[in-house]
Amino acid sequence: MLGKLSWDVIPFDQPLPMIASAVVALAILGVLAWVFLAGHFPYLWREWITSVDHKRIGVMYTLLALLMLLRGFSDAVMMRSQQALAFQAPGYLPPDHFNQVFSAHGTIMIFFGAMPFVIGLMNLVVPLQLGVRDVAFPTLNSVSFWLTATGALLVNISLVIGEFARTGWLPYPPLSETAYSPGVGVDYYLWAVQIAGVGTLLTGINFVTTILKMRAPGMSYLSMSMFCWTSLAASLLIVAAFPILTATLAMLTLDRYFGFHFFTNEAGGNMLMFVNLIWAWGHPEVYILVLPAFGIFSEVISTFSSKPLFGYRSMVAATLFICIVSFMVWLHHFFTMGAGADVNAAFGIATSIIAVGTGVKIYNWMFTMYGGRIRFATPMLWSLGFMVTFVIGGMTGVLLAVPPADFLLHNSLFLVAHFHNVIIGGVLFGAFAGYTYWFPKAFGFRLHEGWGKLAFWLTLIGFYATFVPLYTVGLLGMTRRMQHFDVPAWYPWVLVAGAGMLITTAGVVAQIIQLVVSIRQRAALRDVTGDPWDGRSLEWATPSPPPVFNFAALPHVEGEEPYWSIKQRAREQNRLRDEPEYEPIEMPRNSPTGFICAFFATVMGFALIWHIWWMVALGALGAFATFVVFAWRDIPEYVIPAAEVARIDRANRSARREALATYTGPRP
Amino acid sequence: MSNADDRHAQRRDTDGLERYDIDTAPGDEYLGDAEVGSGLRGYVIGLGLATLLTIASFWLLGTNLIWAPGIPVALIVLAIAQMGVHLVFFLHITTGPDNTNNALALAFGVLIVVLVIGGSIWIMANLDHNLMPTNAIMNMNR
Repeated sequence: MLGKLSWDVIPFDQPLPMIASAVVALAILGVLAWVFLAGHFPYLWREWITSVDHKRIGVMYTLLALLMLLRGFSDAVMMRSQQALAFQAPGYLPPDHFNQVFSAHGTIMIFFGAMPFVIGLMNLVVPLQLGVRDVAFPTLNSVSFWLTATGALLVNISLVIGEFARTGWLPYPPLSETAYSPGVGVDYYLWAVQIAGVGTLLTGINFVTTILKMRAPGMSYLSMSMFCWTSLAASLLIVAAFPILTATLAMLTLDRYFGFHFFTNEAGGNMLMFVNLIWAWGHPEVYILVLPAFGIFSEVISTFSSKPLFGYRSMVAATLFICIVSFMVWLHHFFTMGAGADVNAAFGIATSIIAVGTGVKIYNWMFTMYGGRIRFATPMLWSLGFMVTFVIGGMTGVLLAVPPADFLLHNSLFLVAHFHNVIIGGVLFGAFAGYTYWFPKAFGFRLHEGWGKLAFWLTLIGFYATFVPLYTVGLLGMTRRMQHFDVPAWYPWVLVAGAGMLITTAGVVAQIIQLVVSIRQRAALRDVTGDPWDGRSLEWATPSPPPVFNFAALPHVEGEEPYWSIKQRAREQNRLRDEPEYEPIEMPRNSPTGFICAFFATVMGFALIWHIWWMVALGALGAFATFVVFAWRDIPEYVIPAAEVARIDRANRSARREALATYTGPRP
Repeated sequence: MSNADDRHAQRRDTDGLERYDIDTAPGDEYLGDAEVGSGLRGYVIGLGLATLLTIASFWLLGTNLIWAPGIPVALIVLAIAQMGVHLVFFLHITTGPDNTNNALALAFGVLIVVLVIGGSIWIMANLDHNLMPTNAIMNMNR
């Protein structure tokens, strides 16, 4: 009746996961109780859970990402502290548990931390920068989000019910095959990533369509903001790469569930094919994460240098170059697997060449700052920290791209330090820059600058204190994923890395305090005009937070930096543009389709993991029925009357008129 | 004048630019009275051609029309023709100016498929060549 499920699968004998999950469960129950008792549920349901507004979905994505970053970070703290305590000693995490911790850390950070953060910012900003009212398929967007949340939920359920994979964040066979991983850990990984992967693929399709087909009147490809370009490239990569992930994991699933032998040792299976295919997705995935971050830095650096982006066209070319070449380098993840010198050399050279595209971008950002009036606000600090850190990470990357060097360094902590260097220094710094930069757009008030700067410096110093020692022990021969070690030469470095973790923890705490303080002081931090940073792209032409329809009248775009030219004209003539003729606006209706679909997907995923076949059928049927009901809906849209549009726009216009009257900066 | 023409004309007026309706998805069709017939005709022709090509590939195997070693080549040719029919009649890929995006997407897709499949074959063949199979190692140990 319940498949493999029984009371034995809950780890009552292990205090650590039990206490952790009890605390989390209590917190969740507390929040739920508060929501229901205080009567917030109808509001949450109406305004957030069923919302198809791209801004709300973006905020929910970012919130999910922040929560999952905390979860993944606590895994990181456990790993660092375990290694600090495990010199010629067993430490406090048994090997079995330690292996689950590093697997969960990687899986959560990539799939449920970095991806939702980047996609959340894309959701919030791309339609605003394109000057349109929503994405191409608003309800599909909500489905994408809730499917991603389903994946995150399944990974976290594994903490209490059963176990997580012990295979690392990419489940290499034969270790991940039934013979060596008979438990449900790998199954949790497979279904969580598959379901979230469907959500990501739908997002990719949605954004390619939105950017190619729905731009403001007059906006050509070459007047799109840089963030839209990098989002387009990332979405194209999602559409091209995620099917490879889905197919590869589906083959592993067939191996595990039906005794196929795609990747087994026996019967003609080839486990090397899994490594090959998973990295054919895995390398583009790196650029799916970092390209939008590059876009964020372009926006931030240009805004806070008060200059247009230097070399806009070369930036577009570099982005598209990276987009294509990212599909030609994947073998560098397995140089040591046994390919010959010709293959290794070809992929090694391609890997070095891809760094050229990024180099172009770095120089463009430097020239953007050159001669500009730079304001060192928090987003700009993250960007500067990124430029220094990412160049170091890039150089160790080019070093690892040399196959003979890779034979010495592969699987060591040098490699671990390298990819944390580029993912933290690139993706995470970018996400935090975007978070502080666009927070006022999403919520109508800025984040506290003092706490933000403190969080930046603590994170930056913590990062170097943690990972420079790991580079060093990597060169001293320490391999990754060690539960304990006996080499005295490594010990001091591991201790320093542990101390670095404490500084990073202080950075995380500072960031949480920043959010709390900002919410408490929101009246003082209020963004009245909708343009708190003297921005240059169209999102700053809307009020903060933007109304559901974004623009009272779709802006007419001529040339690059559409909002900057509008603003300059207003400053020149000392008056705003004429009021547009307000018309009623049609907007898509909210829909619970995404939430209900994801509910059934959760049921189905959980049942598949535990082999509860009747429940699988129930979940599949429920999700399909939800889709059918949605497809037969009668009224997809509702109308916002012209008077309401006029009221909202006039309120914002009067705030902007006031700001223009008191404007003292340079005039064109 | 049909609905579709109306909407296109309006868009051109307000923009002053030759642009395409922002609400038009690739392959979208307006169901004006005149278009239902022609749209349907396209699908029927496509279905006919696709069926014909499928039957031809099965039928070829049973005849002596083609030199036996050439049959795989013939099947590949028919398969590519089949893809072409699907692209033209069902996915509406044309050479028209409103189809640049679709053509580019197709080219990008083909490029990625060639890179991934070609690269995988190259890598795996190389590994096969370099790594001794298990039974060969076993034989050495004997």
